Parts: sequence; C-alpha cells; structure tokens
Amino acid sequence: MMLVRFAAILIAVFLAAPLLVVVPMSFSTAPSLQFPPPALWLGYYERFFSDPNWTGPLLNSILIGAATAGLTMVVAVPAAFALVRYRFPGRSMFNLLLMTPLIVPHIVMALGYYVYFGELRLLQSYLGVILAHTCFSIPVAMLIITAALKGFDLSLERAAMSLGAPPLTVFRLVTMPILAPAFVIAGLFAFIHSFDETVVALFISGRDVATLPRQMFNSFRMEADPVISVASSLLLAAALVGVMVPTAVNSVRRALNTRPSTIAS
Amino acid sequence: MRRKRWIHTSPLLLGLPAGIFLLAFFIVPLGYVTLLSFTEPSWGIGNYRDLFNSRLFLATLGNTFWTAILVTGLSLLLAYPLAYVAATSKGTISRTILLVVALSFWTSYLVRTYAWMVILGVQGPLPAFIAVFGYSPPPRLLFTNFAATLGMTHGLIPFMTMALFAVMKRIDPRLLDAAGSLGAKPWRVFWHIYLPLSAPGIINGITLVFITCLGFYVMPVLLGSPREQTIAGLIGDRMEQVLDFGGAAAMALILLAVSLGLFAVYSRYFGMDRLWGGRA
Repeated sequence: MMLVRFAAILIAVFLAAPLLVVVPMSFSTAPSLQFPPPALWLGYYERFFSDPNWTGPLLNSILIGAATAGLTMVVAVPAAFALVRYRFPGRSMFNLLLMTPLIVPHIVMALGYYVYFGELRLLQSYLGVILAHTCFSIPVAMLIITAALKGFDLSLERAAMSLGAPPLTVFRLVTMPILAPAFVIAGLFAFIHSFDETVVALFISGRDVATLPRQMFNSFRMEADPVISVASSLLLAAALVGVMVPTAVNSVRRALNTRPSTIAS
Repeated sequence: MRRKRWIHTSPLLLGLPAGIFLLAFFIVPLGYVTLLSFTEPSWGIGNYRDLFNSRLFLATLGNTFWTAILVTGLSLLLAYPLAYVAATSKGTISRTILLVVALSFWTSYLVRTYAWMVILGVQGPLPAFIAVFGYSPPPRLLFTNFAATLGMTHGLIPFMTMALFAVMKRIDPRLLDAAGSLGAKPWRVFWHIYLPLSAPGIINGITLVFITCLGFYVMPVLLGSPREQTIAGLIGDRMEQVLDFGGAAAMALILLAVSLGLFAVYSRYFGMDRLWGGRA
C-alpha cells in the first residue's frame, strides 16, 4: 500500500507539474521558450492587454461563451425535464441524440460546419460559432441537469400545488430555487466548454470573430510568441475557477439553507 | 386548471427546442459531410477508392490507431493507482489527488500544449536534464510522436481517473477485509476481488479515452511530427491547404464511422448511461 501511495503521488506530480511551468513563464523576460526564466517582469501582461490581436479574441471568447451558456440552458433545461419526468415513445432515441455530440470528433463537425455555414452565410460570424458551441455544450449541461432532476423530490412540488399554487408559481418558488445550483454549474460548464473549444473555432471563426484558443493555436503555429504564456496563465486561472465554483456554490447554498431555520427558531 | 394540465402533458413541447436545434445544427452538418464525400468532385465512391489506394492515408490510419492504443494503455496504467488511492484512502491524500485531477481536467489542451512545448523545447528543462547524462546535443523531443503521445496521455489521465474513481468509490471495502481475514494475501485480494469489481470503470475509461484519441486534433498537430500525422490532422490539411473537401469528407466519415461504431458496441454491451459518471 505504501508503494502504491508513493506511485500515486508521483503520478499526481506528473499531472500538476507541467501546468505549474506556465505561470512563471508568463512573468519571464525571455523572448523565447526558455525555462527556468532568466528574470521576471510584467511586460508580457502589459503587451497582452494592449494588443488588440489578443484583447479582441479574449473579448470574443467571453461573448461567445456567455451566449453559448445562455442558449444551451434555454434548450437543455426543458429537454432535461422531458427526459427525467416523462416516459414517451422515442425517449431513448432522444437521449442518444442529446449525447452524441460528445462522441463525434470536433474535426468532423468543423468540416460539416465549414460547408453548411458557408451556405447559410454564417461563416466568420458570432452566431455561427455560438450555434456550433451550443451543440457541444448541450450534452455536458444535460448530464448535470438530469442528475440534479433525478434527485429532486417531487412531493415538494405536489405539496405546493395542493396548497393552490399555479404551475408557474410552483416552478418559480419551489423547483427553481432547489435546482438553481445545478443550473449555475451547468451554465458555467457550458461557458468553459465554449471558452476552451479550439478546433471548430479554428476553422469557422475567421479573423473578425477569432476566439482566444484560435489566436493561441495560430500563434503556436507561426512562432512561439511569449505573450502566449499570458493567455495560458489566464486560461489556467479559468480552470481554477471551474474547480472552485461548484464547491463554492454548494457551500453558499448550505449557508442559505440554514438561514431560514435559524430565523424561525 | 388548464395551465396545470398543459405543464403535465407536454414532453413533446419540452423536448422540441433541443430536438430541432440538434437536427438543424448537428445532424444536418453531418449530412453535409456524408453528401460531400460522395459528390465532390464527382458522384460515386471515388474518394474512398482513392483513400484506400493512398499509402499516406493508410499509414496515417495505422499511426492514429497505434497512438490511440498506446495512449489508452498508458493512461490506464497511470490513472489506475491514482484512482485506487483516491478511492481507498481517507483525508488529505485523497482530497489532494482529486483536486489535482479536477484542475488538470479543466485545463485547456492549449495550455497543456504550451507547457509541453516549454518542457520539451530546445531550451527546456528535459533536454537539459538529458544532456547531464552525456547526450550532447540532446535528442530532439518536440515535434515527434513521443511528444504527441506524452501530451495526449497527460491530457487524458484525468478522464480515465474519473471513470475509474466513479466505480471504485462504490466498491464495498468490507469485501476486501473479508477476503483478507480468510487468509488471502493482499495481491490475491486485489487480483481476485478489487480488479474484477473495478472492471466496469476500466471499460468506461478505455472507451472514452480511445474514442477521444482517435479524433484528437490539437495536440498531435502542435506537438507531433508533421511527417507522421494522425487522421484528424490529415483532415485539417486537406481542408486548409489542398482544399480537397471531398477527400477530407471521406476521411471524416471514416473517422466518424469508427468512433460511432466503437461507441455502439460499447453501449450495446454496457449501456450508454454509465459512460459518464458511472450512473446506471
């Protein structure tokens, strides 16, 4: 057991260590990929935030991610309710349709979108990238929302209805507050999924609506611009948020849940 | 009263937006790929005939499968002890492992790619380390199959660990205690009890990782050797450089068929709901 633990720790270091290289590189003064850095400064951060070739894509990625998260929720939440609460003909086919975007390689979809959006005149447009990213985010959001819905106690809704609340009031005052953390997490995952997506954005976003991953990818291919290290550090920070937020949401909910009872007592 | 009934009888209405959306922006684009592969530049199966007569394509296909097998095997080998320790021990060590795995899971492939470029690059720490042992100049590491395999393995270990952990966490530790108290040596307990019980996690993990590997674009293109590509990279080249959309579509359809075929075999025998998160 000691040996296995030791191995596990080594493997965990192997997972984490390469990522830790990224942050010092962003403060490095070296004009190329030199590690360890010869000296530290903030010059590349300054360059990142003053160069429209980087700030533009960053802004685009945030816009596209937010729109993708919104659209994903609008489409996925009702679908999750249909899947969990109803038995209907074609239900398993519907489930399969919602999940397959996770299996299909992005390069295949990139080719499909390139041709299809070319005809719809959606190439190099925000809408095109948002629609494509929403396809990939739907399964991710579905997994989270259906899991939360399966654990939802239906008698709470029935109790509210038996007390005379109309359905929309029940949804607003009972269903929604209970499921809100799951919705927040699902929306956040959809955002991050879109924010990270590289392949489809690379082929269909074009120069004007270029996303941050597209800009990074092209920058890798041209020459190793040291400003990439800043972009990488920012994405690493986003990953850290992704890890922290679900825990934070849950603890906030626990804090909120205990408050009414303390007031009552 | 009428509105109440409306909410109760409308699975169709609730599912409609998602259904229409995916039909219009997921199924139709795939239809375009299929159509393109049989019509561009001319009608028929010419694109497929050309592909299977092309040494480049067959070599690329072989390389793609070989890389996927290697990466899947390596990530299983490395993720298993990680998931095992996370699932069986208590306290800090388990929490630390899960935190590292989660952080790694959320980190963009581009960030990992950048990290490996720094580490494996000419001025990076790994070549410098190798040079200490007298290899001078150190061997080229970046832009090789080695770099792509390393990067992909590192990238997919979190997926494998999560698939394994989901199953391992539900293995009853009393079963192991019982076997031990009946006189079984630790490795026998592991081999005859723990390993078979964790098998569903292994199957979930290798399916997920293998399919992801087959279609991987970013890391093989940026870290790998330009001469030994994987199929995703070749599709990208055909689109961007040669503008041979028919050939690219035929390759894409082959990749899609293999991915969906593997997934169909998996869900036929193991049920698809279990693939993510281990729920039955």
